[in-house]
This record gives sequence, C-alpha cells and structure tokens, in this order.
Amino acid sequence: MITINHLQKNFGEKKAVDIDNYTINQGDMIGLVGNNGAGKTTLFRLILDLLKVDNGAVTINNIEVSKSEEWKTFTGAFIDDDFLIDYLTPEEYFYFIGKMYGLKKEEVNERLVPFERFMNEEVIGQKKFIRNFSAGNKQKIGIISAMLHKPQLLILDEPFNFLDPSSQSIIKHMLKKYNEETNATILISSHNLNHTVDVCPRIALLEHGIIIRDIMNQNSSAEKELEEYFNVEE
Amino acid sequence: MLFKELYKHHRLAAKRHPMYEKNKFGKFFMYFMAVFWAGYLIFFGTTFALSFAEAAPNMEPYNVMNKGLIFVFALDFLMRFPFQKTPTQEVKPYLLIPIKRNKILDFLLLRSGLDTFNIIWLFMFVPFAIITVTKFFGVTGIITYSLGIYLLTVLNNYWYLLCRTLMNERIYWIALPIAAYAALGAIMFIPEKNYISDFTMNLGEAFIEGNILAYLGTLAAIALLWMANRKIMVGLVYAELSKVEDTKVKHVSEYKFLERYGEIGEYFRLELKMLFRNKRCKTSLRSIAIIVLLFSGLLGFSDVYDGAIMKNFTSIYAFVAFGMVILTQIMSFEGNYLDGLMTRKESIFSLLKAKYYLYSMGVIIPFIFMIPAMVMGKLTLLAAFSFAFFAIGPVYFMLFQLAVYNNKTVPLNEGVSGRQGSGTGFQTMVSLAAFGIPMILYSSLDALLGEITGQWILLGIGLTFALTSHLWIKSVYKRFMARRYKNMEGFRDTK
Repeated sequence: MITINHLQKNFGEKKAVDIDNYTINQGDMIGLVGNNGAGKTTLFRLILDLLKVDNGAVTINNIEVSKSEEWKTFTGAFIDDDFLIDYLTPEEYFYFIGKMYGLKKEEVNERLVPFERFMNEEVIGQKKFIRNFSAGNKQKIGIISAMLHKPQLLILDEPFNFLDPSSQSIIKHMLKKYNEETNATILISSHNLNHTVDVCPRIALLEHGIIIRDIMNQNSSAEKELEEYFNVEE
Repeated sequence: MLFKELYKHHRLAAKRHPMYEKNKFGKFFMYFMAVFWAGYLIFFGTTFALSFAEAAPNMEPYNVMNKGLIFVFALDFLMRFPFQKTPTQEVKPYLLIPIKRNKILDFLLLRSGLDTFNIIWLFMFVPFAIITVTKFFGVTGIITYSLGIYLLTVLNNYWYLLCRTLMNERIYWIALPIAAYAALGAIMFIPEKNYISDFTMNLGEAFIEGNILAYLGTLAAIALLWMANRKIMVGLVYAELSKVEDTKVKHVSEYKFLERYGEIGEYFRLELKMLFRNKRCKTSLRSIAIIVLLFSGLLGFSDVYDGAIMKNFTSIYAFVAFGMVILTQIMSFEGNYLDGLMTRKESIFSLLKAKYYLYSMGVIIPFIFMIPAMVMGKLTLLAAFSFAFFAIGPVYFMLFQLAVYNNKTVPLNEGVSGRQGSGTGFQTMVSLAAFGIPMILYSSLDALLGEITGQWILLGIGLTFALTSHLWIKSVYKRFMARRYKNMEGFRDTK
C-alpha cells in the first residue's frame, strides 16, 4: 500500500527523516513511536504530501504522492487542529467533508451513528463553532472527519492526545474494528506505549528520523522491547 | 527588575511576532508609516500655528488650540482601539509567578502609561509650541506645555484602558464613553458659555505658565484613574481568564439554497461563513462597506465629486474596493486550515472558482450603492456596468494571482492591527495596480476616444476576462499547486 524509498527530509542542518526503504502492506495497522523530535509528524506530513521531500519518494498504491492527487480519494488523515475549519459547527464540518467525497447529508448522518458513543453527546447539536470546543472534542471531530468517507488508508497523529480515558478506550476499539472489518491500512503515532502495543500488530520505532526497529507485536510482545528502549522502569 | 522584564517582553512580543519577523515589507511599512505620521503631525502643528493666528487675530493661537483639546483627546481615544491591549489581556502568563497580582497589574499599568504611543501627539504640539509659545514664554514654555500635553495623553490612556476593560467584560459598557462624550458635548454646545473649552484653554495656559497646580491636578486625575483601573482589573482577571467568545451561536446560517450546486456551492457557503463568522473578515467588510456607501452618497447627493477625475476615482474605487480588501489576502485566511484542504483532491480549484463567483456577484452591492448616483444623473448605466465588469474581469484576474504567492496566514479572529494588516510588498503592489490600472486606462481611453467609447472598451475587456475566468483560474490553481510546499510552509510558520 505505502512504499517509502530513500526518503530524506532536512530542516537546515537537522535530519528530520531519513528512511531508506520501508513498505506498509494493505491491511497493516502500524504504530509509530519515538521521542519528541524523532520525526513522526514530519513522516506523516511527507506521506500526505504536505511537505516537500528533499530526496526519495512516497508512493501509495503505486501513486507517487507528489505527482498525482488520486491517492487523496481513499486516504483520511488528521494531524492536528490546523486541519479543522474552526468557524464551522461540527455538523457543518462533517457535511462539508462528506460533500468533498460525494456523500449526501443523509449518508453523513448515517455514518456518524457508529461514532455516537465516542462523541458522548458533547459534539453534535451543541450550536457551537469548532473553535469553542475543548481540545478533546476538537480531537474527536478531527478523527471522525478523517474516517467519515471510510478511507482505505487512515493516518492519525497522536489520536489519544487530549482524550479522556473512556474516549481513549473507545477509539482504540474502533480503530481495531475498522481495520479488521475493512482491511484498511492504519498508521498512528503515539507517545502512549500501552495503547500502541494494545492496538498495533506492527510497530516502527523512529529515532532522529530513522526507523531503527520494525517490531512485530504478537500478543503485546513488543511491550518489553519498547519499555527497554524508552527506559520505562517501575 | 520586574518592570524591566515586563518591558522587555512587550518589546519582544512585537519584534518576534511571526508576521513581523517573516515580513520584511511589513517591517519597512511600519517604519515608513511611523515616519509618515510623525511628519503629518509636524505638518499639522505648524499649519495650525499659522492658520489659528490668521483665523482668530484676537486670541493667541495656543489658546485656540487649547480650546479644542477635548477633540484631540477624543480622537486619541478612538485611535487606541485597534492598537492597544488592556493589562487584563496580558496578565495571564504572569499569574503563576510568585509575585502579588496587584503588583503585576501595577507594572502592566505603568508599562502602558510609558508606552511610546503616548508621545505621538507631541509631534504636533512641540512644533506648534515652538511657533506660538516661544515668543512669550521662551523654551521653558515649550517644555512645560509639552509636559502638560504628555500628562493629558497619559490620562487619556488610562481613561481608554478603563473603558476598554469594561467593554471587554460586557459590551454594553460602550455606553460609558458614549455617555461621557455626549455629556461633554452637551456641556459644550447647549449653554451659551462653553465651559469645557474655557476649562481646557485655562488648563493649557496653566501648563504653559508652568503652574504647579495644573500638573498636580492632572497627576491626581491620573492616580485616580490608575486606582479605578486596578480595582476593576483585579476583579476581572478571572473573567478574562475564562473568557470564551461566542460560545453558543443563537442562529447558525446554513445558506441551504447553495446545496444544489455541488462542490462549488459547498465552497461558496464556506466562503460566506468565513466572511460573516470571523472578526477580521467582518471588520474589513463593514469598514469598506461604510467607505463605499459614503463615497457613493457623496457622489450622488453632493457636488464635491463632480469633477471628471474625482467622479471616475470614486466610481472605480466603489467597484474594486471589496475585491481589493478581501482578495489581496486570498488564501491567507485559508492558511489557518490549509493542511486539511490539501489532503483532499482538487479542493483548492473548487475553492478558487467559488471565490470568483462569490466576489463577482458581490459587485452587485456597490452597484446598488451607486443607484442614487445613477438616478441623479452623475453616473450612466453604461459606466456602472463597464466599471463592474472591468472589476470582475482584469482586476480580479490580477488579484487572483496573489493566490499563487500569498503565504502568510492572516488570523481570522484578531482585530485589524497595523502590523498584521500591513501585508506584503507584492500585495500592496497588486492592490495599487488593481485600482490604478482601471483609472489610468479609462482616463486614457476617455481622452483618446471619448467617454462612451472608453466605457464600451472597458466593458468588452471585462467581459472577455469574466468569460474566460475558468481558464485563468485553472492556471492560478496549477501554479498554486506547483508552489504548494513553499506556501504551506509559510502558512504554518506564520500561524
């Protein structure tokens, strides 16, 4: 599904991303972990063609992301608040996004039903613009908008950030279920090792822009390895 | 020590503002405007000194000036609104440091009193005093008078802060300055004797004479307003901290009639919502609507713009003004959420088309404003059509080119302050061209071929550009996409 070839991105002297070869298959659910500044968000931005690569290329389903926009029709992503049009209400935003993917209002309403528990009656019908929602609810709006058109590739940067424990648990289950039911490829980054280990069968560990370990995570087998790397001690 | 730190933060906040740091033209423009205003005030100071002497030979010019001091300070009060923040808006980062809240507020109030903004009027009063005061009171008179004026400006600064702080809390506090100025106006104009002007004249003269009581009185008034400010601000710090604007919206405009027009209709709605739901856009629209309405009213109902040049200037300005104000910032508002738009296919192309349709339809507004001028025979229907089509044709063509090059995010909900409103050099150049080219072209056509032929030619050019808009918008889109990384980086850096 995603192929990364000789991908390099520098910010001045600093090497932000330097990945020789990396392949993500259709249906993979990958967790990207690494310390602050490891290059997780930069890698996502490069995959989504939001940054210019210095070298190399990213292809999604054999489409080079910087050369064609076709990949956008089956990709959903949420990186941060800057993705949201904050002077719309959440409903307006969902309908707007829906329309971009050819969905009618009724279809959008239908697709919002599975997210009702996640939204916890705090998002829909509030008569508030997105800018006036809490960080947690903005996060929920962003995640839902990325999933609304049932993308074959879903990219979420720190999806557990700002969410209360119940919502974290719900989104974890939702992502797992979505991956199993649709065979969609899901990429998430997170600082929360427990969540990542719980959800992702494959984990990429990023350090100074380089994927230093590609860990197969069967029955949370990656937990120990990651805890050792991050020096997490009881 | 603390004051020094707070003062340093104040300077750094301005110096390191992303718009200011990245925008060389903006920086140059700020300095240029500062010099321009200083020069302008010096010009006013000298002109007033000479003209007051002629206009009121029985009075000393400084007495005439002092009689009108209240107007100067009313203007000063209004000028502060776009530029000056209140200490309650700035206190937040300092609340958790181990220093008493009152002390921090005192420092912020002191910083506000010592702000360079408070010396701006001296550029007018010092040259005025040099010409008018020196002959009786020498250099000492200039110094004492300038000091008095400075203290009055500081007093006005605290009066403004008081009103603004209260207005930030509840908008109905706007009644306070309105009532105060209305009361002053009533005292000035209703009784036969003008007590206010007499008072300010005597106060000004007392400053010139170096009357210590005048200074003490002003200082006492400053102290009183300082204390009032502090008392109110201490109470309002919590309110300011928890402040959330427009939390609940009473009525959400949907513009449902646009639903049937697919993706373009959706972007059309988005643009309308952007214009009417964000402070920055609303303020720009409102200001330009007032100016255009004023111009068209003057053109229609008075003879001040009856000369050919002024008539053309006013009419062309009315038609291009809306585009000039909003479209010079094209994509800069979207900079706030461009990453989201860019992850969706061709959404920018649809957005650009929707913008073109909306702003083209928008010329109906100046067209309506111009109806009185048409009825009064000041503007022909052909002229109005030719200006309108020329605006949506080549003028919009020029303004849309900025979509390729604009890469600085304009905050949607901040007020229009000088620094953020200054724009880039290229924006200024294009907006000057957007207005200048139709003026020059029409004047040349008028001189060479006559008024009517000139208007037909403008109409023809306008129609050609309007009818081929889909082609040049596509080209703008393609060039935007070619520059997308540079633009996205710029938008992210200036958020």
